[in-house]
Amino acid sequence: MSKTIIEAHNLTVVYGRKPALWNVDFELPEKQVIGIMGPNGSGKSTLLKSIMGVVEPTSGFTRIYDQELDDVRDRVSYVPQRQEIDWDFPASVWDIVSMGRFQKRGLFKKLTSEDKDIVAESLEKVNMLGFAKRQISQLSGGQQQRVFLARAIAQQGDLFLMDEPFAGVDIATEEMIISLLKDMKEAGKTLVIVHHDLHTAQSYFDYLVLLNTRLVASGPVKDVFTDNILTDTYGGRLTTIAKISQELENKDFPIRHK
Amino acid sequence: MSFWEHITTFFSAENYTLFVVSIGSGVLCLAAGVVGTFTYLRKRALIGDVISHSVLPGVAIAFMLSGVKNPFYFLTGAIISGLISIWVVDYVQSNSKLKPDTILALTLSVFFGIGIVLLTKIQHSGNAAQSGLDSFLFGKAASMGMLDIQVFSAIAILNVICVSIFLRGFSTISFDEHYAKSIGLNVSLIKSLLAILTVVTVAIGVQAVGVVLMAALLITPAAGARFLTNSIQLMLIYAGSFGFLSGITGVVISYTGNGMPTGPWIVVVLSVFALVGILFGKRKGVFARMRIRQSNHIKINNENVLKDIYKLGNEGQNSLPLAELIEKEKYSPVKVRTVLNRLEKKDLIDLVRGFIILNEKGKLAAQEVIRKHRLWEIYLTKFFQLDADHIHDDAEGIEHIITPEIEKELIKLLDRPEVDPHKSKIPY
Repeated sequence: MSKTIIEAHNLTVVYGRKPALWNVDFELPEKQVIGIMGPNGSGKSTLLKSIMGVVEPTSGFTRIYDQELDDVRDRVSYVPQRQEIDWDFPASVWDIVSMGRFQKRGLFKKLTSEDKDIVAESLEKVNMLGFAKRQISQLSGGQQQRVFLARAIAQQGDLFLMDEPFAGVDIATEEMIISLLKDMKEAGKTLVIVHHDLHTAQSYFDYLVLLNTRLVASGPVKDVFTDNILTDTYGGRLTTIAKISQELENKDFPIRHK
Repeated sequence: MSFWEHITTFFSAENYTLFVVSIGSGVLCLAAGVVGTFTYLRKRALIGDVISHSVLPGVAIAFMLSGVKNPFYFLTGAIISGLISIWVVDYVQSNSKLKPDTILALTLSVFFGIGIVLLTKIQHSGNAAQSGLDSFLFGKAASMGMLDIQVFSAIAILNVICVSIFLRGFSTISFDEHYAKSIGLNVSLIKSLLAILTVVTVAIGVQAVGVVLMAALLITPAAGARFLTNSIQLMLIYAGSFGFLSGITGVVISYTGNGMPTGPWIVVVLSVFALVGILFGKRKGVFARMRIRQSNHIKINNENVLKDIYKLGNEGQNSLPLAELIEKEKYSPVKVRTVLNRLEKKDLIDLVRGFIILNEKGKLAAQEVIRKHRLWEIYLTKFFQLDADHIHDDAEGIEHIITPEIEKELIKLLDRPEVDPHKSKIPY
């Protein structure tokens, strides 16, 4: 087994009183394509957001390369869910992908010509260089997704956390993303991908994390992608967890007594 | 006095007061337009309204504590209560189930209500210094002094400098706060700075135009500017300029029309600017859309007539009498004449003494339309289980919009078909 890249320990995120993630523990191996799967509202996006520090965990923690996020942030790229963004924003494709260099340059330093080369290369990798000057409001869903991927690539990290990159994109984009993921994996990158299509899971991923607010299973696809575990994740047997969450919310009940 | 004389008197240094008032208003509106651009882009238009109504209790309390009408006490009070209102909105939003619009409306009315109660109390207290406090409600632009203009200029310069320095941070968090956080930008610092700039601008502006109109100064310039450009830098420049010009123009108008209120006129002029943006914006402006519709209409007519000429003239082999085209296709003679003239100008046909001759270029263009029509028909029958008699009308419309890329895709997808569902040959 290869080295651990992300470790989650007792990770709990609560919105109001409702747990979105509840005592989640796992270790993810590096240099793999890792799928995070589970039904709607099972905490997949919240998991990525708390790894990225976008959402503060209520308790527990995650570590990356056995370090704090802030110490390794320059090695991690986050690809937010495309649908959460209003694309009617006054910016060009180039402007958005340039954001990938802000991490390195901070709030004030000008982008160097090296930065600009990196932005151009990243656009080229997703076949969007021809669209560099295009207004982002004029892009199709698939093109928007490519722009977000290019922005993450421009960060030049080696761990990528992607929130539903395959949601609502055309086939050409899906195929492009898949071949890009393969290339990235071969280059030694680790890819963690929130995904919801069970049909493609086995062919896309090496490793799976199955969530339903709590961790149902994590491990290599061949071990985890079994009827039993999938029924546990998606089937009715775990609706109790949703009922308990609703109870906690309704009665304003804490899941922890501190 | 004629209007022109008014203008000349106005700009002569003799009319010192009006000079001061107009420049002051212009600079204030510039400041509001620049910082308001981000309020607009972050979809927080109503926050401007909340802040402007919420400064009132701060002003009243400042007066009650000090007992004097000192603009700096007022400003401090206004800024503090404005900041509290933003904090209340954010706090309630993350700690309750109330919807954002409810929270905004509630905060606005509660603060404003408290403000009015306090003002009324002050008015009944018999303190002679209190007269004029109610100018915060409707503004008192007309009585601006040199001190005001200095304060306004300072805030305008502050806003422009901060926005220039923090443009990267401001625009990144406006587009996607989560991403900004993920790359380690100090999002809470950027947000606080933006909030402080907004509150300070509003607190100062309220003294000129009043609580009700202040929100318009923030949002209207940005709304108009958004229609004119897709670049955030240009949008800021437009919004600032709209603000500045409206400020000055509003004052000039209110001065020439005796006794007209200044603040409302500024807002009216701002709305005119926004309207101009909405009408003439090259992106989504009303006229731009009309132009697009017009050009679609022309394209459809051109292609339809071209297709008819091709078909009636035996696939472009024969010249076609104009009379035959009009009779068979029931065209209006006048309209078809304009279309034919356009086609001749595009060098697709030649018109010789009542005959239409399709040239090589015209033939290819006509074939292209027919090809797209038939490809679309095949596509519909093949993938959507439509009968052959249901597809023609659909294709009549779609044939005009299929781009060369989509056409290529269709040919590939359908494996370069030879005939359409009506057994007509597809011209390649």
